[in-house]
Amino acid sequence: MWTSGRIAHILLLCSPIFALSAERFDETLSINTLQDGKVSSKFTFTTLLKGASPRNPKTLDEEDESQLYTVFPLGLGQILREYAVTELHLSLNTGRWNYDRWGYPEETGVGTGAELWAWMGDGAIRTVDERWKGLRNALAGLFCTSLGSMDDLRTTSPEKTFVPEGSLPNWDAPHQIRHASLPSENVCTENLTPFLKLLPCKSLSGIATLLNPHKLFDADWHGMSVHVLWRGDEGVEVRLTFQSVSDPLRSAVTRKQDWSFESLFGRTIDRPCPVAETSEVSVTLPINAMYTIQPEPARVENNLAKFDVKEISEPLLVRMIWPRPFSYPQTYHSEATPFSVRRTLKGSSQAWGQLSLVIENHRPTSMRAMYLETMPWLLQFHLHTLQARIDGVLQDKIISNVQYMPSVPHSRPTTLQAILTLPPDTSVHITMDVTKAFLRYTEFQPDAQRGWDLPPAIITPLEDHDNYTIPSYSEKRMYTANLLVEQATPDFSMPYNVIIFTCSLIAFIFGSIFNILTRNFVLVKVD
Amino acid sequence: MSSKPQPPSSSPPPNNNFAVAFCALAAARTWLSLTGFSSLLDHNQLVSSPLTAFSNLKEGIFLFNHDIDPYSGGSFRQSPLLLSLFTTILPSSSKPLASLLWTLNDVVGAYTLVQIWRSRQNVTSSRRDTLVAAAYLLNPYLFLPSLALSTSSFENTLMLSAILFACKRKPSQTVFTLSVLVQLSLTSIIMVLPAMLLLITDPHSHLASPQPIQTSLRKLWPLFGEFSLYTIVLILISTVIAGSWTWIPQTWGATLMLPDLTPNTGMWWYFFTEMFDHFRPFFLMVFSVHLLIYVAPVCLKFQYDPLYAAYILLGILGIFKPYPTLSDPGLFVSMIALFPETYQYMRHPIVTLLLHLHAALLMPLFYDLWVVQGAGNANFFYASTLVFACANGAAIVDALWSGLRVAIGETPEGYVVVQE
Repeated sequence: MWTSGRIAHILLLCSPIFALSAERFDETLSINTLQDGKVSSKFTFTTLLKGASPRNPKTLDEEDESQLYTVFPLGLGQILREYAVTELHLSLNTGRWNYDRWGYPEETGVGTGAELWAWMGDGAIRTVDERWKGLRNALAGLFCTSLGSMDDLRTTSPEKTFVPEGSLPNWDAPHQIRHASLPSENVCTENLTPFLKLLPCKSLSGIATLLNPHKLFDADWHGMSVHVLWRGDEGVEVRLTFQSVSDPLRSAVTRKQDWSFESLFGRTIDRPCPVAETSEVSVTLPINAMYTIQPEPARVENNLAKFDVKEISEPLLVRMIWPRPFSYPQTYHSEATPFSVRRTLKGSSQAWGQLSLVIENHRPTSMRAMYLETMPWLLQFHLHTLQARIDGVLQDKIISNVQYMPSVPHSRPTTLQAILTLPPDTSVHITMDVTKAFLRYTEFQPDAQRGWDLPPAIITPLEDHDNYTIPSYSEKRMYTANLLVEQATPDFSMPYNVIIFTCSLIAFIFGSIFNILTRNFVLVKVD
Repeated sequence: MSSKPQPPSSSPPPNNNFAVAFCALAAARTWLSLTGFSSLLDHNQLVSSPLTAFSNLKEGIFLFNHDIDPYSGGSFRQSPLLLSLFTTILPSSSKPLASLLWTLNDVVGAYTLVQIWRSRQNVTSSRRDTLVAAAYLLNPYLFLPSLALSTSSFENTLMLSAILFACKRKPSQTVFTLSVLVQLSLTSIIMVLPAMLLLITDPHSHLASPQPIQTSLRKLWPLFGEFSLYTIVLILISTVIAGSWTWIPQTWGATLMLPDLTPNTGMWWYFFTEMFDHFRPFFLMVFSVHLLIYVAPVCLKFQYDPLYAAYILLGILGIFKPYPTLSDPGLFVSMIALFPETYQYMRHPIVTLLLHLHAALLMPLFYDLWVVQGAGNANFFYASTLVFACANGAAIVDALWSGLRVAIGETPEGYVVVQE
């Protein structure tokens, strides 16, 4: 007894060392100059828990294995184990990603507002929906966001568009996806602080030093995201990213694109993060342009200047200087993205309208794409009016494989998935009539006159030879802009008045009718 | 329609006049339905409720044809019987054909009303026939919903057919028509008792000579049994068509739970928009039960003239139905033409008429201002629906008052009529 106790004690003392060897932390910052002179930067912090696997939901009623992490974020790890989540993606963005000018983002999830999707194994005592509810509330607490309002009104299961990025364990019961988006949710300092707490070096050293909220939330577009996925041969990976698009031309008097860590982030990297395996800053160098980059990069590969933060002896302040003023391009070439998409809600009435989607295929070949709409019930589709037109001529070959789940008033949202076949160099107009629902007065948000933000549609290019049952995507998904729907509002100050008026009138009519029914007419002699 | 052409009458001139006038009215309605006027009413929720709108019917048909369960959610709330009819024999894809169908349905409804009038008077034709037909075909409360292709027009025709079958003492036809009607609109169940009383008595006017019902009420039991049988069979047929039981909460359930709060001419929508959540189930129950309260007293009071009881209850439905359209009060208004003997005893016909005018002018105006222009406030439209309810309530009071007052007749010199 004594011996085994002592051995266990020694093992417990040693466990952090084992753990350290089983975890790996890498960080990178990539900076990229965009066509319209803006600068996009993306921070990536990857933690890999080697040899780990997601919790099987069948073991939810048993004691879980102990969680001893050194660099892996414990707060997130506990949530993942508690709700047996296999894969998780959370993104919080502000602003609209301009695909035509900026191309594809490095991190795909750029829909405005909050978006959360998770793959979870089925077959547990607690259903997927119960765990999904717990998950979004736990994440809401962890990141100080309103994810708790991603309730049944907003949850859908679009498994064809959101395919898992990692691998799914081969358990008896199948995996299910839950997806919800909250377009009116913004990202701000109160979300960044808990985000930084998940990093091993916080924002004290390494690349994370540059995550300065004053500068980042001043950028034209910014968003943070959390990705958890399982790589079957390696382990569980947590990837924390922060993307921003800043405009160096906004404040420049000289109309030059010059940027530096100081101008973009207001800080420099003073010392490396000691637990990071690799720590690298890479800057995409422009082609056919004159520029100077300081200091001299450690190495240049494939037009990428790389700086190794592990090796710095003095504070790292990367800057790029352009000798000539910037001239805006006349046109933006959009070869990077296959389409331009515009989605609008037409009609001024508060009871009905028309959803309109214009997709322009830029490529000289015909393309196919998966179109996904997840719409809260307050906008109800009339699917029989779904039509596609090219130059005003009705086309019936464009929309195919429609998969539709109608909304349920006061609860489930609509899910509409369809495959679009887009002819080369053409713009396709897709329209559908919608009705706007009338809500109970308790269902309105504060500031009801402003209207409701509706989530973006998602369009994903498909492989040419693809069949519909197992879609395989040639490129990453694209998000359209959000919509704002204006709904007829009742008078919020009137509930008592309306109850009193209506009840009085009913009582009056009831009384008049029964007055006549219960009394008889008689002849009375007048004196 | 089972109403067969009448044998040649002893007085040919009025009959011929009626045929000519009726055809002219029908032609006028057909022309109106084919003009572009109906497109103005496409989205108007005063003439078609969520339970009767043609766009919802088309959506349901589309989903049904594409193997998506139309009752799994969304806005389709019409009966599976309509779904099966419109996916097989009736036209829905072509608007002109559908307009013609709705007009034909109204023409049949008008002819049924004329037949009811004839059997009440026990004549084969009369000078008033044309007036009765015109009261149905030219009533804006009836032809506007019909132009908007609201399925409430079918409910009206079924209602009138059920009454006509009852007048002609055809029990099976009456009971079957009623059970089809209940499939389309659950609240019509309050018309079952007066229609059955009409079956076991006669449709002639006994308002002037009230007396307790002569026939035994035991005759009602087999009729109720038959009604239940038909209803169960139709429920099963609907379930087979829809493929599951989900149609019941989606159609009948909507009448009881009011999931869709789209504005209409009735009293439910704004009340339940503004209702506190924890009182909602209670008031839903109160409003539903309230509809049933009137059946027994009205049938008791007018046991000597069940057709009049049916007329009063149709008026009650027009005010207090959960999802009314203009065609529900419209049917009551048109049926006034059947009871000329009561006109001179109405209590306040001028007030009723003015209230109706007031509501009929203001309702579309305030609806458009609030919902379409986004300029007005919901309270204005709500107030105009309250006036409309007052107008219909006043009309019912007029009808009840005059229907009972007829029994006293002319007041002799030196006497007045008072309520006891």
